[in-house]
Amino acid sequence: MKKIVLALAVLWSCIPIANAQENTIKAESYFGDLRARHIGPALMSGRINDMEAHPTNPRIIYAGTAGGGVWKSNDAGATFNPIFDEYCQSIGAVEIDPNDPDKTIYVGTGETWPRNSVSIGDGLYKSSDGGTTWEKMGFEKSERIANIIVNPNNSQEIYVGILGALWSDSEERGVYKTSDGGETWNKILYVDEMTGCADMTMDHNDPNILYASMWEFRRTGWSFNSGGDKSALYKSTDAGKTWNKIHNGFPEGKLGRLAIAVAPSDSNVLYTVIEAEEDSKKGLYRSDDAGASWKQLNNDFGITVRPFYFSRITVDPRNPDVVVKGGLSGSISRDGGKTFKNLGNMHSDIHDVIFDINNSDVMYSGTDGGVYRSWNGGTTFEIVENLPLSQFYHISVDDAEPYNVYGGLQDNGSWYGPSQAGGGVKARDWNSIGGGDGFRVLKHPTKNIIYSEMQGAENVWRYDVNKKLVKTIQPLPTEAYSKLRFNWNAPMAVSKHQPDRFYMGSQYLHKSEDMGNTWEVISPDLTTNDPTKQNQEDSGGLSMDNSGAENHTTIFTIAESPLDENIIWVGTDDGNVQVTRDGGKNWTNTTPNISGLPANTWVYHIEASVHGKGTAYAVFDGHTKGDMKPYAYKTTDYGKSWTNIISDDVEIFARNIQEDYENENLLYLGTEFGLYITLDGGKSWSKFKNNMPSVAVHFIDLQAKTNDLVMGTHGRGVIIIDDISPLREINSKVLSKKLHFFESDPFVMNDNSGAFGNGFGAETQFVGSNGPSGALIKYLLPKRHTFGKMTMEIQDMDGNKIVSLTPGKAKGINIVNWNYTIKNPKVAKGKTFSFGGFTSPRVSAGEYKAVIKKGKETFEHVFEVKNDTDTGLSKADIDMKHKTTMKMYNMTQELAYMVYELDALYEATKGKKAKVANALNELKKTLVVTTGDNYVGSAEPQLREKMADLYAKIAGSYDAPSNAELANLEVIEKRFNNAKSDFKKLKKKTNPEELELKTFDEFINE
Amino acid sequence: MLSVAFVLTASITAQTAEEIVANYFENTGGIDAWRAIEGMKMSAKVNQGGMEIPIEIIQLKDGRQMTRITFQGKTMKQGVFDGETLWSTNFMTQKAEKSDAEATANFKLEAGDFPDAFLDYKDKGYTVELMGKEDFAGTETFKIKLTKQPVTIDGKQEENVYFYYFDTENYVPLAMQNEIKQGQAKGMIQEITFSDYQEAGDIYMPYTMTQGIKDGQSQPISMDTIEVNPKVDDKEFKFPEGETTETENKN
Repeated sequence: MKKIVLALAVLWSCIPIANAQENTIKAESYFGDLRARHIGPALMSGRINDMEAHPTNPRIIYAGTAGGGVWKSNDAGATFNPIFDEYCQSIGAVEIDPNDPDKTIYVGTGETWPRNSVSIGDGLYKSSDGGTTWEKMGFEKSERIANIIVNPNNSQEIYVGILGALWSDSEERGVYKTSDGGETWNKILYVDEMTGCADMTMDHNDPNILYASMWEFRRTGWSFNSGGDKSALYKSTDAGKTWNKIHNGFPEGKLGRLAIAVAPSDSNVLYTVIEAEEDSKKGLYRSDDAGASWKQLNNDFGITVRPFYFSRITVDPRNPDVVVKGGLSGSISRDGGKTFKNLGNMHSDIHDVIFDINNSDVMYSGTDGGVYRSWNGGTTFEIVENLPLSQFYHISVDDAEPYNVYGGLQDNGSWYGPSQAGGGVKARDWNSIGGGDGFRVLKHPTKNIIYSEMQGAENVWRYDVNKKLVKTIQPLPTEAYSKLRFNWNAPMAVSKHQPDRFYMGSQYLHKSEDMGNTWEVISPDLTTNDPTKQNQEDSGGLSMDNSGAENHTTIFTIAESPLDENIIWVGTDDGNVQVTRDGGKNWTNTTPNISGLPANTWVYHIEASVHGKGTAYAVFDGHTKGDMKPYAYKTTDYGKSWTNIISDDVEIFARNIQEDYENENLLYLGTEFGLYITLDGGKSWSKFKNNMPSVAVHFIDLQAKTNDLVMGTHGRGVIIIDDISPLREINSKVLSKKLHFFESDPFVMNDNSGAFGNGFGAETQFVGSNGPSGALIKYLLPKRHTFGKMTMEIQDMDGNKIVSLTPGKAKGINIVNWNYTIKNPKVAKGKTFSFGGFTSPRVSAGEYKAVIKKGKETFEHVFEVKNDTDTGLSKADIDMKHKTTMKMYNMTQELAYMVYELDALYEATKGKKAKVANALNELKKTLVVTTGDNYVGSAEPQLREKMADLYAKIAGSYDAPSNAELANLEVIEKRFNNAKSDFKKLKKKTNPEELELKTFDEFINE
Repeated sequence: MLSVAFVLTASITAQTAEEIVANYFENTGGIDAWRAIEGMKMSAKVNQGGMEIPIEIIQLKDGRQMTRITFQGKTMKQGVFDGETLWSTNFMTQKAEKSDAEATANFKLEAGDFPDAFLDYKDKGYTVELMGKEDFAGTETFKIKLTKQPVTIDGKQEENVYFYYFDTENYVPLAMQNEIKQGQAKGMIQEITFSDYQEAGDIYMPYTMTQGIKDGQSQPISMDTIEVNPKVDDKEFKFPEGETTETENKN
């Protein structure tokens, strides 16, 4: 029987592959100019796991982040650049080879402060060129790497400390060593499949002496355990061949997480932080005999707090008695560890601190809110402002123009900010909308009201943005429902059908029809209600850790159908997909109808489709059971049957799916290692890599008006792909054409100017990039254009050229931006520039053609350009503005030609007809400036400058010309007419016909 | 007239970076034709926010070069190198100003890169390395690392590495990337793409390029003409001691 099942399974799994060959389109080679843009925010930054200083160049600092990759600073931390975007973004350790510090860098992936929301790593990487390119060195199953140490006398000898899997047994843990630069590795210290290497260090004066701490730990979706009989601190004096426990002076009983540090300036001085059974025995221990004996020195809160999250000890490289310990605030001792004071104010949760290599006053601190710098030995800290590492759990968008993005962050509250802003999206554009850990944030569909929450729905806020009024509205226990279990990341939802409706999920589904003032429970307990998963007060192991983060058997996702308000889907963290078709009266658990899904796999997201009432998608995430496979299914019959929509292309577990609103086969999948897109309903998936790091995508939304795909990432903030609509049109027919223009809605010539300059002060800040503006001509090339000419023009409908643009040549989607302008006017030549003359006027509203010539073939696309109706201008106003602008444009060019003629005549008469030449020269001095420079040495403006400035003022305004402008125009026109008649008279005294002068048209178009 | 049949040579299996570079020269006119180039004058119009800015780039085999930009009939020179001095016209005063000593020294190191950094690269002390095949914007390419002489940045010596993406079908470079070494963008990756390969004298050259930050905005430039071995007055390159550089009256 087993064999038959197996054979069927093989057959079944072959079907999609067979289909794949016929109907699939691999999207990845066609993404072309579709490019992700990052809008941060960076003002609260995100969690840092490991800091690393270059051993000889104090300008170079590395930050290994919890979810945002590796960043390198070339300016001692003033600014950072990402150097690891193509790989796993969860970082455990960064190590620089001390023998080759400019080039050789090792990165161990997988964060090592294992809170509930940590991501995973996928091995060890090496760069041999200072971080430009990387190669993988193995340890694919290591999940989290705590330390990497290169022997300072021998680059071939490397030690790797692997903490290992958090949610499952694994043998890929402990200490590994290579003596051949990573060709072969030996496991030199291993305890068991539950116990990993939490910390490791080398004696700075003797590379044969190593210390390693082993830690027994395990997390499930509903509990955490730190500590056991296996945790221990080891020492080797023979380069890792043999290891001995060094516990003389340690507390009795089980041990938890242990840190280890050797004072660089004195090899006898060691520090460890011990998590022990007895509270009084926890804390900082010191050895003055290289580990032969230990003494407890301190067990203050700052030293013992949450050992699994804070365990790093750093000793001042120049003073063995200056010790820094990570913690809630971070602590520093200047008496060898006896007493500590807090580090200066910065974001709480300090994971690592390093000292500048030359100056102990300078320190870098890695926190839950980014990197901080101190210049005074840790008393005050300033934040690095360009690390957009924000860790979103969820995002949503509204329908404003430009739309706003809302979301909650790990340990950094809830925020909303604009998708675009004048000069880019800056720190000051973001607004705080909730404290604590932030999760879901939703805009009321019609009112200027925002819902947000903190962990475990301890507070759910309803914020009236206009009146700045806050009310807490979370459902509370009642007699009938006396205990509510909310997830750490509690689900909420609004309704497309009833704007004031608001849902929350505990183990029950709660519904309010009045924005959270009154609540009704509309379901039974929808979870498995498994009591063995509800003992959170026992969680933590040796150090109790009941923060609420492990609350389980709860509802995690709620989706009301956009087509029918009575159809509601609910997914639970213990594996149930429940649906009601009558507004909550009856519920059906559809999970038994899903095949191929392990029991109790966390339902991370349900997407109720716009394509059919019975259609929905469900994404399941098993990583908290050690199952890293992706699971996503689709139903079209209310969950009676579910179809697998994941292909082998997807490398890691997924958390979210977003459907396209128009093309049912187009889907977007958020995975732990980035975004995937399918064009064929899930038969094949392609990873989207254009400026999209391999970052954990926790939530995706599709903005309905702009078709922007908006992603909440857990480590790189909000990432947007502007207007994905071209993807809807890609199919085999289109790909068989030589060039395909994508459909475009009419373009609106936006008059909204954004803002006045950007001022100063943002030089070292992250600024989120804006999306493109203007008419975006989009077309598909099935193959890259490399040889021969390919040009593009914008033409009016009569085929007259308006402007030449350079077309894109890449395979796939190309996007060319036209800013609606014609060429700027030809301006008279003077001594200096006439800045007004750099203005290009816009075309009138109407139809235009984009014409591409590729080799001998011509391709045309007609599109429409519209005026901005927000300005409130009448048709007459718009016509008046255009007419006046073009009149001045023509005057400017006429003057340019007149000066050209005048210059030529002057040259011809100079020395021959001195009087005429002199008169010409005098006239010229009134037409253009003939002295000065372009800055503070500028000359008195003449006719050209006055004309061009007024032209630029009128052309640049959204409004019709004002009376003042028209009056000014009259003055300029009069002066120009006088000049023209003066020139005409002078011309008669010369012989222009003897000169080979260009005609006006030749002059303008040359 | 070169035949388009050169594309067929792509069937040769290239294994090493050296072979790929050799194929590139072979497919674009042959190494002798490349070596025969003494100089080039490239004319283009750059479109910036509706402004069409005519520019002219002159490069000579001995390392001298300049870019002439014309605004409102006035020509300004930028990035002029006379063999010793690197200088540009200040936009405000329209006077010539020298680049800082480090920039000039680094520029000198690459003075032999015309007409192509890869041409006789070994003689220049450069090395090439094949990094493998990589997808560049949907097209399969050979990624080749070109290491030039180290440059000095803010007093510290740094490696000078460029990555080129050669089309596996026809061996011409589609793009080049390198780390920006100075200024506010230090540490970011610059990307230049090449397309519209057409004849320029006896060789094929990309007539369109885009320059920008990798994964960011870029500025295209399309050549109207490329003149091979143009006549150029030596005086054009000389740093004008104590005078303005407004030497031309082009309209």
